[in-house]
Amino acid sequence: MGANTARLLSFQILARMIDVRQITKSTKEGVPILKGISFTVTKGEFVGILGPSGAGKTLTMRCLNGLTRPTSGEVLFTDHEHNLVNLTHARGRELRKARRQIGVIFQGFNLVKRLSAIDNVMIGQLGRINLLRSLVYGFTDDEARQALAVLEHLNVAHLAHRPVGSLSGGEQQRVAIARAIYQQPAVMLADEPIANLDPTNARKIMQILTPLAKEMPIIGVFHQPDLVMEFCTRIIALKEGVVVRDGDSKMTRSELVDLYGAELSEIEASQRILQPA
Amino acid sequence: MNVSLDKQYLPSERYKRHAAYLAVLAVVIIGLCSYFKFEPLLFISDFHYMADLVVEMTPPNFEVLWRKEKIFASILQTLSMAFLGTLAGGAVAMGLAFLAARNTTPHPAVGAVIRTLLAIERVIPSLVILLLFLIAVGLGPFAGMLSLAVGTIGMFGKLFANAIEGAEKEPIDAVHSVGASKLQVIRYAVIPQVLPSFIANLFYAFDINLRAAIGLGVFGGAGVGYEISMAMRLVRYRDALALICFTILLVFAVEKLSDWLRSRALGQDLLK
Repeated sequence: MGANTARLLSFQILARMIDVRQITKSTKEGVPILKGISFTVTKGEFVGILGPSGAGKTLTMRCLNGLTRPTSGEVLFTDHEHNLVNLTHARGRELRKARRQIGVIFQGFNLVKRLSAIDNVMIGQLGRINLLRSLVYGFTDDEARQALAVLEHLNVAHLAHRPVGSLSGGEQQRVAIARAIYQQPAVMLADEPIANLDPTNARKIMQILTPLAKEMPIIGVFHQPDLVMEFCTRIIALKEGVVVRDGDSKMTRSELVDLYGAELSEIEASQRILQPA
Repeated sequence: MNVSLDKQYLPSERYKRHAAYLAVLAVVIIGLCSYFKFEPLLFISDFHYMADLVVEMTPPNFEVLWRKEKIFASILQTLSMAFLGTLAGGAVAMGLAFLAARNTTPHPAVGAVIRTLLAIERVIPSLVILLLFLIAVGLGPFAGMLSLAVGTIGMFGKLFANAIEGAEKEPIDAVHSVGASKLQVIRYAVIPQVLPSFIANLFYAFDINLRAAIGLGVFGGAGVGYEISMAMRLVRYRDALALICFTILLVFAVEKLSDWLRSRALGQDLLK
């Protein structure tokens, strides 16, 4: 292999931040849920994963950051130092090191409700700070200032010292995004980040995520085809545990009908009900 | 209409069944009373002794509270036994609870062993524990404090473990997902969720331990319980009533204070 070819190959691998190779996942009873999912995501992409309920979207996301281990297949991840990590085989310290560089935004925000917003944001750095210090002392003043700057960027700095349990859904999701940003990840995963929000807040969250995707690729699972087509750069469609479409961010109505079936009318109806007058 | 009701559901059968249960209960009560010589009638025939005692105890001699310097020291001793016993027992109970809870235990076998030990410890009466500590460390408040601590571990270890197991899984997932270690997950995702309930339960434990400390003092030779028992033995009934009145007031005040602190802890104000 010539030097040029080797350089080109390494470049291609580095550009692929997440490389999902034929992952499958079955239940304990052996019922297959994911049936060989493959895709790669590179820098600058904002990927929207669409699909009807039970298609395996959330399970795919859990496999991407190692919260669930696939039955077979591989998930490869290129970290900040350009190391290639196999998330499928990573265990213990190696897995924790990889997770530090994968930011996750959850559908239910997954914040520690009794802690303040700023404390929740600082949790994003837990994987990077000294274990003993984190257990005994906690965070430093500098870390608190940096966390506040991220909250400021998302227009929620005034809520920094409120327990997150007392914040609205939109505010909680901004705090959760702040936590993921403060983590300084190489890639961001968003599992239905706007599912629990009203249309106005959902749009605002998409407007926050879009510029972020230029710095780190974002892979998100969504239930709103219209917002995905408006904001994402690419759509991956899943159905019954299989990728049925992987392409640009425009889907025709007939493609959506094929993908969702009867569920599409429910989605459209719920969006009509939620539309502000 | 041809609907037949099963015999066991007939009202008349149900009455017969209830009557049979009551008859068995009556036989058990009468049998126990006659075998162990519990004579409920004595309470009525000998009630005049109680009336005499009340007459001898009144009016309470409140002077004893400030005349005898030792009294305040013994009250403080009872409070300290309850406070330190609750604190020490609570701290150990918390540590064991994290080892016992299924979602934080380092290994399922460790969890099973700790849960079994807590179950065994719970069934040992606190007076038996006190007697063991009296042999180990001698008469005095320390033995009382130790037995209260051990009682608190048994009583609240399992309760704390249940609270940990009931912690929301989602924040735990989120803290795992940033690359935190298991200890960091416990510190930042589990403890903030369970701490208010831990603190509220410890106030409750303090209430119980304060009452127990008065009782244990009688046997352990310490605290206000010992002073009351001495006053009774020395036939200073008016002194004893003053001490009992003061103790009731003290327990009532402490209970009100701990109720208030407990509601604040559960309302998060105390923690945030």
